[in-house]
Amino acid sequence: MVMFLIRRLLASTMVVLVSTFIMYLLVDIALDPLESLRLSTDPNVEAQRAARVAMLNLETPVILRYFDWLGGVTGCLWGSCNLGVAWTTSQPVTGLLAGVVATTLQLVTAATFIGMFFGIAVGIISALRQYTGFDYSVTFMSFLFYSLPVFWVAVLLKQWGAIKFNNFLRNPDFPVWFYVLMVFTVSVVAMGMVGGDWITRVKVLGVSSLGTLGVLLYMDLTKWLIDPSMGIVVLALIAVGWAFLVTMLSTGLRDRRSLGGALTVAGVGVALYYPMFYVWVWLPVSWPLVIALGVLAVLVGLLIGRLWGGPDPWRTARTAALTAIPVSSLLFFERLFMTWETYTTHSLIRGRPIATFGRRTPNLEGSFWLETTDLFTHLLLPTITLVLIGYASYTRYTRASTLEVLNQDYIRTARAKGLTERTVVMRHAFRNALIPLASIAPVDVITILGGAVITERIFAWYGMGRMFLDHLAANDIAPVMAYILIAAIFAVVANFVADLCYSILDPRIRLNA
Amino acid sequence: MKLKRLAAVAAATVLALSACGTPLDDPDTPDPGPGTDGGVVPGSAVTVGWNQPFFAYNTDTSNTRATANSIITYMMRSSFNHYNPDLELVPDPSFGTYELLSDDPLVVEYTFADTAKWSDGTPVDAADLLIQWAANGGHLNTIEAADVERDADTNYPVLNGEVYFDTSGVAMALVTQTPEISDDGKTITFTYDEPYADWEIGIDVEVPAHVTAMRALDIDDPQAAKDALVAAINDNDTEALSAISEFWNSGFNYKSLPEDELLYLSSGPYLMTEFREAEYITLKYNPEYEGAHQPSIETITVRWNEDPMSQAQALENGELDLFAPQATADLLAALQNIEFAELHQGIEGVYEHIDLTFDNNGPFDPATYDGDEETALKVRQAFLYAVPREEIVEKLIRPLVPDAEVRHSQLIAPGAPGYDEVVEASGVLEYEQQDIAKAQALLEEAGVSTPIDVRVLFAEGNVRRENEFEIMQPALAEAGFNLINESSPDWGSMLGSGVYDASFFGWQSTSTAVAQSNPTYQTGGVNNLSGYSNPEVDALFDELAITPDADAQLELQKQIEKILVDDAYGLTIFQFPAIAAWNAERITNVAPSPISPTIFYGFWNWEIPSE
Repeated sequence: MVMFLIRRLLASTMVVLVSTFIMYLLVDIALDPLESLRLSTDPNVEAQRAARVAMLNLETPVILRYFDWLGGVTGCLWGSCNLGVAWTTSQPVTGLLAGVVATTLQLVTAATFIGMFFGIAVGIISALRQYTGFDYSVTFMSFLFYSLPVFWVAVLLKQWGAIKFNNFLRNPDFPVWFYVLMVFTVSVVAMGMVGGDWITRVKVLGVSSLGTLGVLLYMDLTKWLIDPSMGIVVLALIAVGWAFLVTMLSTGLRDRRSLGGALTVAGVGVALYYPMFYVWVWLPVSWPLVIALGVLAVLVGLLIGRLWGGPDPWRTARTAALTAIPVSSLLFFERLFMTWETYTTHSLIRGRPIATFGRRTPNLEGSFWLETTDLFTHLLLPTITLVLIGYASYTRYTRASTLEVLNQDYIRTARAKGLTERTVVMRHAFRNALIPLASIAPVDVITILGGAVITERIFAWYGMGRMFLDHLAANDIAPVMAYILIAAIFAVVANFVADLCYSILDPRIRLNA
Repeated sequence: MKLKRLAAVAAATVLALSACGTPLDDPDTPDPGPGTDGGVVPGSAVTVGWNQPFFAYNTDTSNTRATANSIITYMMRSSFNHYNPDLELVPDPSFGTYELLSDDPLVVEYTFADTAKWSDGTPVDAADLLIQWAANGGHLNTIEAADVERDADTNYPVLNGEVYFDTSGVAMALVTQTPEISDDGKTITFTYDEPYADWEIGIDVEVPAHVTAMRALDIDDPQAAKDALVAAINDNDTEALSAISEFWNSGFNYKSLPEDELLYLSSGPYLMTEFREAEYITLKYNPEYEGAHQPSIETITVRWNEDPMSQAQALENGELDLFAPQATADLLAALQNIEFAELHQGIEGVYEHIDLTFDNNGPFDPATYDGDEETALKVRQAFLYAVPREEIVEKLIRPLVPDAEVRHSQLIAPGAPGYDEVVEASGVLEYEQQDIAKAQALLEEAGVSTPIDVRVLFAEGNVRRENEFEIMQPALAEAGFNLINESSPDWGSMLGSGVYDASFFGWQSTSTAVAQSNPTYQTGGVNNLSGYSNPEVDALFDELAITPDADAQLELQKQIEKILVDDAYGLTIFQFPAIAAWNAERITNVAPSPISPTIFYGFWNWEIPSE
């Protein structure tokens, strides 16, 4: 293991060194730092040129300049980082990075996890319903999304998701075609997902049509888009729904203790509906606090599960804890939704909440809730863009690996010994199907940083990608190299982490073999 | 049973609490803003889109001369004069006046108005111009630019006790004598060593002198700091000047709102109140401002993104109220589809021109014809007669700017004072209509064998220039020239290398300074990329550079243009199109200027339309 680590570390270092060296030469060839002075009619342009050549050491051969740069970079190993200066703005690159890395993470984190979650879920269902209409549709859609150019998706999303939607909000009555479309789509998708014989299909079709119609009518009649708060009754219904869903996937509904634990968690959540408003007022709300409360909710869920006990108390505890996540989120969003109307009618928003530009509304200051709402309205469209593109590949990977696992002997054995289909899928198939993903997910996180270059530009988020693009256009090598360096380091680290995960998850693989 | 108890408690809590109302602590009502000041409409705000973020309050160092900076400081700092959209210089007497006391030697006196003051209450006065002289003239520098060591972390000059202002200017370099300040500190007099044509834009106030001195010399009192600065300059006190120059070079650069409020003082209508790195900057009305440019809009926010389509969609979504994208047909179409968008289709400071190379043994070089000037001239003339300028403008520019015209003058921008006279006098209108027959006749007269190969350099990948080439090629083929596409992505660094016979690209002008054309046409000038050399032109430019009188300048420019036309130097083609778009429901009275500050020109006239 130690030998493996050392070998990998050396190899990774070499990869980073060689790639940055080659990139430094290439970028140096591509850039022309004097470009902005070539067409200047300033009378003292010659002096300006001389000054710039001196400032950037352009007389020094590029290879020496690379080692100069590398010298500064190696300083990072003992904490005196010097990634050079963005000469166009006289800013040290290390200072520049601090801001842009945070922005990029804010942009891509949610999108990465949402994409992963949906991709895996849809992939598994599509594998379970192999060669059905649902499977073919999912395959078609994922290839479609996978091949869509980001800039095009983004422009369309802005046109329909922001501009037209905001126009629609002025008078938010759902048109009839919207009812028809939604009811049709949701029920057909639900039918495809559940499958089964034709009686089941008709039942699912009927239930989901009615359900969708009900939800739409509720949203339309209560003007939900104007004031999206749910109220305690609706929240209770949703919480109970989650409790059933989580139990169904986690242990099966026949495990009455688990169901009880989950429902208790839902009940506690509903009971906390009013007290939470006081909590939000008493406590200084901030993201760390919200996350801490979320963790607390999970712990309480564990406790409740343990109290329900049963022959295998941890199963109950797990179910209850998992239920606590959606239930506590519901309470958080309910509070957030209460600010929605204040937000949309704010003088800086003027009834157009969905944003297309930047990471916040300039000069909007207010409570944590107002600013969080603002963050979400700015995150919405770029996140959808990134999810649409990222999720497609997860669907394909998950589908393929699930199918492979489902054909294994141990699945047949599991079925043969009479386990329920849920146990076979969730315990035996799902977990093993995730193993190949462990080698894909870390690498994917890197690619999404790269893919965010265009998304950042189009949605005016100043993150890593835009720092890279802007300075490339401005002939400023230091920030460009910083981007390349970070991308190179992330790439080797991601591959390394992927290998480690793999060996931990799959005992058949040994690293020093 | 545990569960029952739990359920009971839960139920009780629900019952107990549902009786109360739900407390919300949102102080989320919109801020009504401060009261009315002058003509400012309380709560009025506009958001402007721009492509590059602000990064320096001192816009005069070698690294910070960027439009991204000057558009912001334009709204924060008053100046002695500014250009209007017709490129005329308009003085602002509410800030200060200037007067030409004598032509030879050239003596200029600047007097500050009583209403000129920084937002910390310190008056703007002679010291603020004096520091600018010290910086821009470079007479107090103790080391040369080439010897300056630069810090590896920041690129700022490392001074080690030396004096070095990291900038350079032409006008102040001609003022070696330290300017004299009157006793009340309101008046300062500059004596030029030789007459200088562009004296009117020779100097203006940049950063506050007292802040520079307070921070550089660690003095707390503004007036004392100012006195120390004036003394240091008058006595050439190297130690103090080193600290001052160091702070001047680097102290005013920041990319988000600095903690030190003195670093963003305002002497104009707006104060910087918020600045988030790479996101936006917010300027609010300066209640202390007593000058003439009283605005009516309380808050101006500038947001940054370089993607034109995303700015257009932000305009449609109400997130931007005004922006000036790079002009393309797609974008124009998108903007025309927005109901409430008002469009300005005008020109910008860059102009396209075609140059012929005189010194590369190519078809336009007399050396090719054994030094026969006459033959080379005829070939050049023939080439210029055949260039389809009108067609280029019609096909490439008018779709963006319907009233675009061919530019006819090398020296003066269309619409700027003197343009019509110069065009009239130069005889360039000979070339107004493309004349293939004449071109053919001239080539025949010259007795050269056709077709003549002409290597043309332009920017590869630039759609407009590639289209220009496509339009030119057949027209010139008819006249007897075989255009060879030598376009390159590295065209900029290939300029002047002699590997091409003709080139077209854009020159950029940021002012109407008459001296800016010297390096382009004078023998051996930095921007003389075509190898053109005519002693007569050289002499006229030398004279122009030291002619302060506008009428005399125009006479010289006419003569120069005439010679350039007679020598068949080359032709100007068009002024770059500029588009500005704004939300007519949110802002009116926008009047973009062709040169910096473009859309921000006349921000004090902007108004929120009454509904």
